[in-house]
Amino acid sequence: MTSPDLIRELQASRPTAREALRARVRELTSPVPTVERRPASRLRLPRSAFVLAPVAAALVVGIGAAGVIGALGGSVGQRPGPVREPGRLQIGGGSANDTEKAQSASPPVSSVHGSAATLGPVTQGTPIAPTPGRAQQVDATLTVKVPDSDHVSSAAQDALDLTRSLGGHVQSASVTTGDEAQATLTLRVPVDRAEDAVAKLSALGTIVSQQVSIQDLQEHLDALVLRARSVRAQIVKIGARLESQQLTPEQRAALELRRQSLRRELSSLRQEIRSTHGVASFATVQISVVTPRSLGVVPAQSRLDRSLDKALEVLVWEGIVALVVLLVAAPLALLGLTAVAARRLYRRHEEDRLLATS
Amino acid sequence: MPTFASVAESCLDDVFGYLLYLTKDRPLAEDLTGETFETAFRRWRRFDPRRGTARAWLLAIARSTALDWFRSDARRRRREARVGVAELHAPDDTPLGEGFSPGLEAALRELTAGEREVLALRVVLEVDGEETARLLGISPTAVSTRLHRALAKLEERMRHDDVA
Repeated sequence: MTSPDLIRELQASRPTAREALRARVRELTSPVPTVERRPASRLRLPRSAFVLAPVAAALVVGIGAAGVIGALGGSVGQRPGPVREPGRLQIGGGSANDTEKAQSASPPVSSVHGSAATLGPVTQGTPIAPTPGRAQQVDATLTVKVPDSDHVSSAAQDALDLTRSLGGHVQSASVTTGDEAQATLTLRVPVDRAEDAVAKLSALGTIVSQQVSIQDLQEHLDALVLRARSVRAQIVKIGARLESQQLTPEQRAALELRRQSLRRELSSLRQEIRSTHGVASFATVQISVVTPRSLGVVPAQSRLDRSLDKALEVLVWEGIVALVVLLVAAPLALLGLTAVAARRLYRRHEEDRLLATS
Repeated sequence: MPTFASVAESCLDDVFGYLLYLTKDRPLAEDLTGETFETAFRRWRRFDPRRGTARAWLLAIARSTALDWFRSDARRRRREARVGVAELHAPDDTPLGEGFSPGLEAALRELTAGEREVLALRVVLEVDGEETARLLGISPTAVSTRLHRALAKLEERMRHDDVA
């Protein structure tokens, strides 16, 4: 008998269950009414979903958390650094009009800061100017950025030339060349040319920061002048009394002492008046010329960039944590998998043995 | 979605035939068939038609039930052998199929359970190779090899009987 014959005979003699068994199975199913099944009510997933779903969920949660933290971190607590670009201007305490009004009312000090990147655009001229006719101490500090070290030297030279052309002089100068080239100049320019000087010096490069402060000296000067007049009047008065012959020697000696004292005071007052005039006649301008490299400026990032950076940072940390967890859990997982595989293998062998011997 | 009753009605002969080939014992096969359908009835809610046919699902339960019985039977035999009890279980002589020649019946009984199993699935129940492979937990190639070997062995036995 060949294989096809055998197959035909085997198929022709297919076993059938006896009626008793059939009845037994029917009895098993008949008493229970058919339950209406709702396939939609039960979520059936492939086995791989039980691994992929948690992994995907972890990824989504991780990326989501990173995004949220990044977005929050990118917008909160980001303060501009000490040096920013491009320039913006801050006028402390009010508008330019307010500042001028305040100046005319002789405030002790008024100052204007220009700090790039946060405030309004930096103007090329002085944001406030000294009031003509009043004695004021004007100080200006500005930082300009030039493209490279070659431009530092030329900008420093231009600043010196400019100062001389405005009738001023250099109080100090420091120029560093090389990779991190930088120049720092302290210039004295006539106060009536200060506005012009700051405007022209600002044009030497890109303004990084600018500060102008004005301290009013007029009241102090007026007080000095008044005191000097009073002292001079007293000296004249004492001189007149000394010329009269009706004084006792003691009175004469006392008046002499008093006159000497007043003369010393007058001399001191005159010196102070001269000094105040000197301070008020020249403005001090300190200019720093820097390069992006010496400045160490990192271009300001947009909020999106900051958020992405923060999110990436969080993701990296999440990755590190996941890696640590994996390193710790991997041996245990490997052990578990090996146990499962060994059990399966054992059962397979056992089944084969059972089926081979039965 | 078919009802369990309809599935049981349509697959009863297949499950019984498979178990009869596997155990070569009709009363035992009937018992195991009943047990299989009881288990299947309890697990019916878990059945997912997208993962396979109801017949394959029932055959998998039948195989598991039969293997459990083989295990317990092997333990029983070992226990009995330890205490020196003679074989109490009398082999069943009822024919595996209806209308088999005595030679085929005898040759079939000489095959191992594993060989009879693959014959039952691939030849008698005409389960395709892929489904059989999934059911037995082996590759389709291994199924083909096992079937070929079983048929060759059966043929050999039959030839031997003819010569005798």
